[in-house]
Amino acid sequence: MSDEAFSDINGNRISLDCQRHSDFCGEFTVSSPKLSFLKVTGCTCALWLCAYTIFFFTEVTEVLSVAIMLSLVGMMGHLHFLKIDHESLLVIGSLGIQMTSSYASGRESTTFIEMSKVKDVVINEAIYMQRVIYYLCILLKEPLHPNEVGDIVPVFQSCKPRLNCLIEIYKQCQEILAQS
Amino acid sequence: MGKKKEKCRKKTLLQKTLDGTTPTLNNCISQKHKICMVSDFFYPNMGGVESHIYQLSQCLIERGHKVIIVTHAYGNRKGIRFLTKGLKVYYLPLKVMYNQSTATTIFHSLPLLRCIFVRECITIVHSHSSFSVLAHDALFHAKTMGLHTVFTDHSLFGFADVSSVLTNKLLTVSLCDTNHIICVSFTSKENTVLRGALNPEIVSVIPNAVDPTDFTPDPSRREDGKITIVVISRLVYRKGIDLLAGIIPKLCLKHPDLNFIIGGEGPKRLVIEEVREKYQLHERVRLLGALEHREVRNVLVQGHIFLNTSLTEAFCMAIVEGASCGLQVVSTKVGGIPEVLPEDLIILCEPTVKSLCEGLEMVIAKERAGNLLSPAAIHNRVKTLYTWRNVAKRTEKVYDRVAKEVVLTIDERLHRLMFSCGPVAGCIFAFLAVLDFLLLLLLKWLVPESYMDRAVDATGPHGLWRQWSLPRASPNGEQKSNYHLSHSSVELLNDASC
Repeated sequence: MSDEAFSDINGNRISLDCQRHSDFCGEFTVSSPKLSFLKVTGCTCALWLCAYTIFFFTEVTEVLSVAIMLSLVGMMGHLHFLKIDHESLLVIGSLGIQMTSSYASGRESTTFIEMSKVKDVVINEAIYMQRVIYYLCILLKEPLHPNEVGDIVPVFQSCKPRLNCLIEIYKQCQEILAQS
Repeated sequence: MGKKKEKCRKKTLLQKTLDGTTPTLNNCISQKHKICMVSDFFYPNMGGVESHIYQLSQCLIERGHKVIIVTHAYGNRKGIRFLTKGLKVYYLPLKVMYNQSTATTIFHSLPLLRCIFVRECITIVHSHSSFSVLAHDALFHAKTMGLHTVFTDHSLFGFADVSSVLTNKLLTVSLCDTNHIICVSFTSKENTVLRGALNPEIVSVIPNAVDPTDFTPDPSRREDGKITIVVISRLVYRKGIDLLAGIIPKLCLKHPDLNFIIGGEGPKRLVIEEVREKYQLHERVRLLGALEHREVRNVLVQGHIFLNTSLTEAFCMAIVEGASCGLQVVSTKVGGIPEVLPEDLIILCEPTVKSLCEGLEMVIAKERAGNLLSPAAIHNRVKTLYTWRNVAKRTEKVYDRVAKEVVLTIDERLHRLMFSCGPVAGCIFAFLAVLDFLLLLLLKWLVPESYMDRAVDATGPHGLWRQWSLPRASPNGEQKSNYHLSHSSVELLNDASC
C-alpha cells in the first residue's frame, strides 16, 4: 500500500506502488514520468525549422506538409509503440507471474509465466550501454532438467529502477514465493 | 509514526551494507584495499599470467581484501561471473584484435572502466602483462581518475627489432607515472627498468609461485628400467624447440633406454615430428599435444628428468613445477632461470645442443649410479620456496606502500609525460591524457557518480560471501553461480533490515 519515490538509472524520478492483495498475491507498479511538454515542443520545433529551411531554399511547399505529417505520425508512433508509462509485475503465488507494460497511448502488452515454469526471482547484474546495472529478472526452469536454470526474463526493462527499488520489490516477491 | 521510524532504520541499515565501503575510499590509510586486477589474459584462456592473477586474487581475498578482475569477453562468456570465494570477474564486451589482446582507441573503454571503478569503490588498479592492451588502457584511465596504480610485468623483451622498440616506447609512456611496478625476477626487473627508463626504487621483485599440493611426486608411475625426459612447454621458437630437435636424435642413439615425453602445442611441432620421422623414434618420443593444467602433474610424474630449453624466460614456472614433482631439472641458463632454484636442484647449461647434451648425460649417469636426490627430498625442498600466500603477503606490502603515496595531479602528470618520455611520444601522450581528462569530465556530467549503484560486496572487509556457504561455487560450476550470489547477497540485506 506504499507509494514511494525512487529514481531510475538515469536519475529520473519514478514511483513504485506496491499493492499486497493478500499473502499470496502482490502487484508492483513502477511508473516513469510523463512525456515532458518541453521535450515534445523542442522536437517539433526542430523538425519544423529544418523543414522551413529546406523550403526557403527550394520553395517546394510539399516539404512543409510532409514535415507536419511526419511530426504527427511520429508523435503518435512514439506514444503508441515506444513510450511506456507504467510497468507492473503481478505475482500470484499459486498461479504465476504476469508482466504488463502500459504505453502512453493506453495500449497494454501482457506476458504471463506459469508458476510451474518459474524457478526463482533474483536481482542480477549486467553490462548495459557502457554501464553496469542491476536488474530484476525471473529465472525459468530448463524444460528437460527442472533443477537447472534455463532462460532469464528481465522485468521493468523500460523503467530500469535502481537497486534500492529493486530490493523492495525483490523482498516482497520472495515473501510471496516462499508462502506458496 | 512507528512505521516511519522503521523505514528510517531500514534505510540506514541498507545504506550501511551497501555503502559501508565508501568511508575507506576517502582515507586510504586503512590496511584493507579494494583491488581491481586488469588484464586481457584470464581464464578460460590458459597460461602463466592467467593462473598468476587467479591465485594471487584468491590469496588476497583470504587476507581480507576486496578483489575483482576485469578482462575482455571470451566468446560466449561475457558479463559478470563469480568464481570461488566470491571473486567477481567482469568480462567486458570489447573487440579482440590480435593474440587475445583487445583493440584500442584508448578512449572507448573509459565509460565502462569508470563505471566499474566507481561502483566497486576501487582504490588500487593492478594491471598485468605488457602484452595486454586492456591493462595499459586501465592504467591510463585509472591515473586520470586519480586512483593508485600497480603494474606487473611477466615477460622479457629485446631492444633491437622494430616491434620491441615500439612496445618499449609504449611501456615507457605507460609506466612513467605508474605508482609501482612488480617484476617476477631480478633479470626481469633489470630488463623492465632499462626498457621503461624507470627509477629502480619503484620496481619490486615478487616471484611467481606454484601450488605445491597440486604437484606432488609419485615415483611408482615411472617406467622401470627406462629413463624418461619430460618437456612441457609451448612448441614455439622462444622456448628453444629447435635445440630440443637437435638433442633428441643425439641422445636417443647413444642411450637405448631413453624416452622423451613432450607436452604442448605450437607451430614448432612440425620440427619435432620431422625428427621423429627421420630417426624412426615413434616408440620413444611421445608427443601429447596441448595439455590442460590439471593433466600436467600426471605427465610430470612419469619422468626422471625435466628439460627446459627456453631461449628467453622471465621466471620459469615450468621448472618449479617439474622440481616440485621430484624431477631433476636441466635447463638453459637464460633470463631469470638461474635465480629460480637452488644450485643443487638444477643443472644449468648454455643454450646450445652440445652443452645441453653434456648436462643431460651427466644427469643420466648420476641416475644410473643412483646418486640423484630422491623425489620426495626434492619436493620437500621446493615446497617451501614458492607459495602463493607468500606472494600475496609481499604484494600486500606493495599495496600498503602505494596507498600511502600521492597520485599525481593532472598538471604534474603532464609534466612527467612531456619531460621523461621523449619530445614526440611525450607530447602525443600528454595530449591524449588531456583528452582523456576532458572525456572524464563529460562522463561525470552525463552520468554522475550518484546515479551509479554501489555494488554489493562479495569479498573484502564487508564481504557477504563468507557468511553464506554456497554449494555450487566451484571453478567448474561457476557458469551459473552468479545468480546464487545475487540471490543470497540480497537475501542477506533482507535479513539485515528485518
